[in-house]
Amino acid sequence: MAEQTRSGIALKPHYTRADVSCSEAPEAPEAPGAYPFTRGRLRPPQASPGWINRELSGEGDARRSNEQIKYLIGLGQMGVDVIGDSPTQSMIDPDHPLVRYSVGTQGVSLCHKQDYLDLLRDIPLENNSVSSSVPAVFALTGLLAVVEDRGLARDKVRGSVLQAPLYAEDCGYSSGMPFTLLNRLAVDTIEFAVEKLPRFHAYIEDTYFFSESGLNGVEEMALGFVEIRHLTRELIRRGVQVDSFAPRIAILVNCGMDFFEEIAKIRATRRFYARMMKEEFKALDPRSWSTVITCHTSGLTLTAQQTASNIVRGSIQGMALALAGVQAMEISAFDEAYRTPSDEAHRVALRTQQVLQLETGISKVDDPLGGSYYVEALTDQIEQRIASMVAEIEARGDAVTLAQQGFFRKLFADASQRHYRLVNSGERKVVGANCHRIPAEQDTLLRDIAEKKIEPWLSRISEVTAYRKARHRDGVSRSLRSLQRAAQDKAVNVLPEVFGALRAGATAGEMAGAMRLAYDHPYDPWGELRPEF
Amino acid sequence: MQTAFIPRIVIGLFGIDQHEVGAIAVTGLLRDAGMEVVYAGRFNTPEKFVREATDEDADVIGISCHSWEYIHFVPELMRRIADEGLDVAVVLGGSVITPGDAETMRMSGVAAVFGPDAMKDQMVDEIRALAKAVRGRRR
Repeated sequence: MAEQTRSGIALKPHYTRADVSCSEAPEAPEAPGAYPFTRGRLRPPQASPGWINRELSGEGDARRSNEQIKYLIGLGQMGVDVIGDSPTQSMIDPDHPLVRYSVGTQGVSLCHKQDYLDLLRDIPLENNSVSSSVPAVFALTGLLAVVEDRGLARDKVRGSVLQAPLYAEDCGYSSGMPFTLLNRLAVDTIEFAVEKLPRFHAYIEDTYFFSESGLNGVEEMALGFVEIRHLTRELIRRGVQVDSFAPRIAILVNCGMDFFEEIAKIRATRRFYARMMKEEFKALDPRSWSTVITCHTSGLTLTAQQTASNIVRGSIQGMALALAGVQAMEISAFDEAYRTPSDEAHRVALRTQQVLQLETGISKVDDPLGGSYYVEALTDQIEQRIASMVAEIEARGDAVTLAQQGFFRKLFADASQRHYRLVNSGERKVVGANCHRIPAEQDTLLRDIAEKKIEPWLSRISEVTAYRKARHRDGVSRSLRSLQRAAQDKAVNVLPEVFGALRAGATAGEMAGAMRLAYDHPYDPWGELRPEF
Repeated sequence: MQTAFIPRIVIGLFGIDQHEVGAIAVTGLLRDAGMEVVYAGRFNTPEKFVREATDEDADVIGISCHSWEYIHFVPELMRRIADEGLDVAVVLGGSVITPGDAETMRMSGVAAVFGPDAMKDQMVDEIRALAKAVRGRRR
């Protein structure tokens, strides 16, 4: 059988000029930074090549995570990248009975205004962008609370939040909200940020987390574009000018082990995005055509066995990303298969990026693989396949309806089964896991670090319970009722009311519950709590 | 003629562990091997697992673990099973289970732990044997 890429593109033994499309014709070579941006995004005049080093942080409570962020900045990290713990991601407060053993273990626990103030304490926001994997509606209003508290100019604040209204529910971060509400919150957040935080990226399309179900690169980007296109249409329908939000859209992609396909995927993504924004959505500003690409390397490709091999995987993936030209990267820590990153693993991941940047010279030239017959041919084919899969899905109907019908959920489930079968049968080689194995008793290198645990932050539970009691009860109740009313009215943006409730002392769980009620959903989908406002 | 033995298994995740990939994959794998799987999905507490296993007359409860919540929930589950006098085998799977923790789990009464090294056939055979033993005791 002929060789093929992870996405099933049949490979030739070698490539020639005849395999490359006319866009790479020698008479009209495409330049990096020029439409359609295959070879690199539009670069602001003052920006240098290369990328921002970032490692994901967050564990325990906001104060502990604040120390962790300062540690990473001390190591030379540029910017802050925070992940919420599972309850935070699902908009469940830490004192909810279902989440008692997950508080603070896989990220930081954030649920009220003081948490955001504590998280970013003493971190200068003028020169550190704040990106977070926390529900966008709270990440944005939480950051705004910090900005207000410090009296900062809103147009100085940079950073980003992820939006995944179509996929989060089925793929790791269920919040028990209907898809209609999740979509509205995404659109509301982006619209609100256009006005309040003009330099903030309120829409990172996160294709990373859902592709970790086992999707291939084409499927990953096709679903990503289905979501981008859906939200873009919704915003335009509301009367938001495409050129006011499109320049702030970024895409957070995955990077697995199929080296050239991953590079081609990123190049194809930039081109597909550019053509779509210019030709289909009629954006006029060139900044709207050029998307920022950031990346996390795939946790799914890492193995629990022979942990040290994960450092090698991270280096190779990081190199692919450097060659593809991304604006920020995060290399998954080598202990990812076991735990949220230890300080030691964080440092190795950051050092990997720094070695790539400072020792290899890899980022001195834009798009060093541009013009390679193979890479150009693969870029063309991936772009075509993304386009046809997007068209196929859109022909099935409205994206929110498809989500409600479980269409995407089935895609993810099928992808995980496929991945598992390929690995289990040995058809997809994973060194140390299904080939070149060693007995467990010999597999000790770095094992002690990988096995160290973070205990659930149980003290946080009583702290939040105490916080709830000490609040100005009437003010909180009033703000939550007001939020519920705003959410009932589909014609208004709920963000001002969310911000109001946050300032009044409401928690994320309460605000989520109030909004669920407005959509005739249970206040607490897990059946443990009742509204108290 | 003797009817073929079909193991009945409840599969799910604890608490707010949402990494469902493994659970879905194992569900498919066991169904392919001819077992009856009740997929309990995410958001289970020890109480819910016991209720599900009782209602479904399950031989085995299989829990996919991709967060450390299981370390705290499993002892609660084993206590509850004992309190209710339920005869059911509990098996765990998932890459977060380290060899040391696997040993602790077995000591607390867990019948089998499938770590990242578990191979498909071994897992299917072991679950079938456990289910058969449970069913045999119930007769």
